[in-house]
Amino acid sequence: MICCKECIELLHDYLEGELTPEINVSLEEHFADCPPCIAFVNTYKSASRLCKVTLQSNDIPDVVKNKLKEFVDKNKNI
Amino acid sequence: MGFSDPTSDEVTEEQLVKDLQAGRTGSFEQLANLYQKKIYALSFNLTRNATDSQDVTQDVLLTLFRKGHTFQGKSAFSSWVYRITVNASYMKLRSRKKEPNVSIEELLPSFNGSGFQQEKIQDWSENTESLLFDNETRGIIQKAVDSLPDKEKVVFILRDVEGLSTEKVSNILDLTIPAVKSRLHRARLFLRKKLANYFEEYKVPKENK
Repeated sequence: MICCKECIELLHDYLEGELTPEINVSLEEHFADCPPCIAFVNTYKSASRLCKVTLQSNDIPDVVKNKLKEFVDKNKNI
Repeated sequence: MGFSDPTSDEVTEEQLVKDLQAGRTGSFEQLANLYQKKIYALSFNLTRNATDSQDVTQDVLLTLFRKGHTFQGKSAFSSWVYRITVNASYMKLRSRKKEPNVSIEELLPSFNGSGFQQEKIQDWSENTESLLFDNETRGIIQKAVDSLPDKEKVVFILRDVEGLSTEKVSNILDLTIPAVKSRLHRARLFLRKKLANYFEEYKVPKENK
């Protein structure tokens, strides 16, 4: 039986679907009997998603947009 | 660029890059429009400073304008732009006072001798989506990412925030594929733990504890 440590080490490859079918089954058998690992997987995925949503909303502020436009206009014919 | 379909965008970009390689300056403005948001967003996530990110965006655009003709097309043009952006952002960070190094090891999961998890793991994943509009939560999340060590941070931002493939990130950062995977995994473990500290303490209703 595969242990929590091995499952968590393989988590990246598991979520990417990169494990062999045999190892994949071993992980899923472990998860079926291990609520802490299920909680770990859910929060691992959730942490990544929360960071993505929060950090993706970096629009260029209007003041910077205007400065960049001036900059490009000045340098576009170099 | 309007709302044209992705294929026509690709053709346009390909043509713009060809013009750039041929030294035709007419492509500069369109390339700047196409890339400045990506350059700024990546730089801002690495430096967390609007002035620095503006400087980096200008430096990168200037490099594209001046050295675009040297781009050989061995990797994707966007990879080249990302690589220049990462390097320019690091130059900015180097000129700043160095924050003490964070030890990522302390935040990695711990196991007993049989390889079972030692700490109690709470599942707070379902309680978080509605909190994303809350400024405090957004601040905590930003700080958590900012506190990642540089090596893990840049991989996390390119892979999970920008959504680039493992291969592309390996190409941009000149890392092996296993190194990209390992750094991404360590970054996610670190962030999971950092956010768990917050969500378990403040946001999960008491009865769920």
